Amino acid sequence: MHDVAAHAAHHAPPTSFIRKHVFSLDHKVIGKQYYALALVAAFVGMFLSWFMRIHLAWNDTAIPGLQLLSKTGAPGGVMTPEYYLQLMTMHGTIMVFFVLTTAPFAAFGNYFLPIQVGAEDMPFPHFNMMSFWVTFVAFLVLMSSFILGDGPTLGGWTQYAPLNAVGSVAGPGQGLGVVLWATSIGLFCVGQLLGSLNFITTTLDLRVKGMSLMRLPLTAWAWFITSCMGLTAFAVLMPACILVILDHVAGTSFFVASNLVINDQVQPHSGGSTLLWQHLFWFFGHPEVYIAIVPGLGIVSHILITNMRKPMLSHRTLIYSMGALAVLSYMVYGHHMFVSGMNPFSSLAFSFPTLVITIPSTIVVLVQVFSLYGSKLRINSASLFSLGFISMFVAGGVSGFFLAQPSIDIMLHATYFVVGHFHMVMGVAAMFGIFAGTYFWFPKMTGRMMNETLGKAHFWLSFVGAYCIFMPFHYLGLAGNVRRYSSFVDDFLQPLIPVHRFITVAALLTGAAQLIFLYNLIHSRFWGKLAPNDNPWEATSLEWSTATPPPFDNFGGKHPVVYHDPYQYGVQSSVGDYVMQTSPEQVKTESDEQ
Amino acid sequence: MSQADLTIGHSTTQTLGPAFSIPTKKFAMWLFIIADTMTFAACLVVYGFLRNGTPNWPRPFHSITNVAIMTFILLTSSLTMLIGLRSARAGDKGAAFRWTMITAALGIVFAFLHIREWLELIDHGMTLLKNPWGTGLFGASFFSITGLHLTHVTCGIIALLVVGVRYKGGRYNADDIEVLGLYWHFVDLVWMFVVPLVYLLNLAH
Amino acid sequence: MTTAQEHNGIGKDLIVYVCLLALAGVQFVIAYQNIDASQMLTRMLVVACVEAGLAALFFMHLWTEKRGFLLFVAVFTIAVLLGLQYGWTDSYRMVTGAPFSH
Repeated sequence: MHDVAAHAAHHAPPTSFIRKHVFSLDHKVIGKQYYALALVAAFVGMFLSWFMRIHLAWNDTAIPGLQLLSKTGAPGGVMTPEYYLQLMTMHGTIMVFFVLTTAPFAAFGNYFLPIQVGAEDMPFPHFNMMSFWVTFVAFLVLMSSFILGDGPTLGGWTQYAPLNAVGSVAGPGQGLGVVLWATSIGLFCVGQLLGSLNFITTTLDLRVKGMSLMRLPLTAWAWFITSCMGLTAFAVLMPACILVILDHVAGTSFFVASNLVINDQVQPHSGGSTLLWQHLFWFFGHPEVYIAIVPGLGIVSHILITNMRKPMLSHRTLIYSMGALAVLSYMVYGHHMFVSGMNPFSSLAFSFPTLVITIPSTIVVLVQVFSLYGSKLRINSASLFSLGFISMFVAGGVSGFFLAQPSIDIMLHATYFVVGHFHMVMGVAAMFGIFAGTYFWFPKMTGRMMNETLGKAHFWLSFVGAYCIFMPFHYLGLAGNVRRYSSFVDDFLQPLIPVHRFITVAALLTGAAQLIFLYNLIHSRFWGKLAPNDNPWEATSLEWSTATPPPFDNFGGKHPVVYHDPYQYGVQSSVGDYVMQTSPEQVKTESDEQ
Repeated sequence: MSQADLTIGHSTTQTLGPAFSIPTKKFAMWLFIIADTMTFAACLVVYGFLRNGTPNWPRPFHSITNVAIMTFILLTSSLTMLIGLRSARAGDKGAAFRWTMITAALGIVFAFLHIREWLELIDHGMTLLKNPWGTGLFGASFFSITGLHLTHVTCGIIALLVVGVRYKGGRYNADDIEVLGLYWHFVDLVWMFVVPLVYLLNLAH
Repeated sequence: MTTAQEHNGIGKDLIVYVCLLALAGVQFVIAYQNIDASQMLTRMLVVACVEAGLAALFFMHLWTEKRGFLLFVAVFTIAVLLGLQYGWTDSYRMVTGAPFSH
């Protein structure tokens, strides 16, 4: 059934600048566009977090220039509590949607999934192009809320009801800001739906001859599983966003209860349910966190295997575990709602699968760690960031065991413990996955190597910095430090201020370390050392068997044929200790010799 | 989106052994249908959730004639779509085109009846916010769900016309008619849930 | 693609069509039965699911596709649909103020 010449996606190379670089149908260009979008979004999100951190540590200090962003929100550069929440909302929304979803999934997936399965392009390049441009417009709509009306919404990235539905009475940004937010996210959903359609059909339909499902690299599996989640999760968030807009603009009350008093005013809405929004949102929201992390699991496994020079202990276990994560992610969403006043019996029903979902996560990590045991790991920026990923995923994941249990979560939910948990396990870990992928694939994408010294410096500063920032969050949470506050004036929070100052300094330094990455990226793109050959890491998967950067149709008119499992390392062949998937060479594997 | 689904694609379709031995376009349509199922399901869950929790939920419908006719028309349009596909598979281009157009015409009648019903309800004082019979949520959820369905029907009609004409012109083939048919049957399938939940459960007794 | 559907005539489509019409008719009959709303809902949903199954299997030709594809679509859709059903008990909260307060 794999007797497929992968030419489903035929289209001639474009010649005009616009068709080549702007409205391109080429999955590689679209992947780079997604990457650029995520890069811009990441730095915007990072600057917002700087502002927030400075404000938390030194409450009265003016941040130079902040008054230019919003005169009313930050008079004289000191932000109001409302403006703090507005920046927090934008930080969360930008990071979760436009960085953690777009970079590991849409950017790298677009660029490398078709190449790794041996296809010339995705089956629906026009959808692919639309997918990026819809996402781009979504980003612009979201950013426009900084300058339109009274600023962005302050409801948090979860945009809880009823505050999202009642309008300006709920605070600055709750008027136009919410409408822009919901529009932006609704558009984003459309973009990801189109992307998921393409990813799934690419993986299943466009594989070249010999590329059976189990011969797909772990990255391809991760992107495939992620797109299966994206297909259905975003399809639920989109109507939810539309209903919020209806509540907001037309005055319906899907998500607003009767006789609600906000800011001393009885709201005209009647009859809806605030919990309903949370159910819909988290039905999307929990698969979303796996949409952010599963591509990272795939990317770091791929990179580690290449640098360990041996396959993982079990290829299939990793694939099945990622699949189990995807299935379970639809059954656990209520663990975000333990304190929402949801039916306590539901809490029980959500808690159990939440504890179960730690099993596949743990299996993935254990397979990775035990595969590392005894291997001669090649230390480079990509493999360091992969190790960092595992470290962050474990350190952040362990606190998940606590939060999975309603009895403990009720104590910790509204504190920095949760903030620390999700920043490490899905924020920083997924970021490290993005960095690892960047260092690893940069030579293929540009033909130049990134600077290793700067890369390693970037790693160590980020790694130590991230722990300095997010580990104390757990401590703060256990000490009872509530989240979402813009200042800590209560007596019992005063002793914790020095911890906040430490975190802020760490955040500023760690953020500054990301500028090293930006410099490295831009400098290497134009003046970096040329890649020595098409396969500088001596890797086996298909993307390394083609020219650098890959030609328009990926394989220069040829259709590769796959002869081997994806990770044939530690063997003796004519090129060294590995055999490429496309090499017809018969080799002796280590297990054969024993 | 449905129209785009069908008009954007490739002239060369891969036919050699893709997954499940079905063409990629058809597979993509099925994936879209799975996603769309979730969209409708989310809306129906919202409706059920609110209806279940609201004591003064109105039951304003007195007659089932209109919705029965609409159901009959939509079901029949599915049949004509199938006949169109059979003709296309048999190579009878003229008949395939005719049956596709008949399907589109039935879709238009359905949409017409639907809009007429909306206008009647609006005449009786029902809006998104309030209605004379009970909680305002009824109007909100009724118009959202039937509106979403009507949007799908409208997209379907446009797609039927476009694909039909282009099929006649030779740009599309029987496979494209089948893919479009999947979408059309899906719109029909959703209606089978909308009728009992949104209409029949709210029938006055 | 050539599928088994070509070997069956229009007759099968007509049979399914008539069945669907009849089932839709059953729904309308149920609507006039003198039973409480939850009973009515259950009966209607069962009929609707049978209708949907018939439409998916025969109108949308799932029956004549590969069994693997039928499984893929059915398992994927039903599994995700089930995940959406967690919230129901919370809708009572709107009536009673708190769950199980009575």
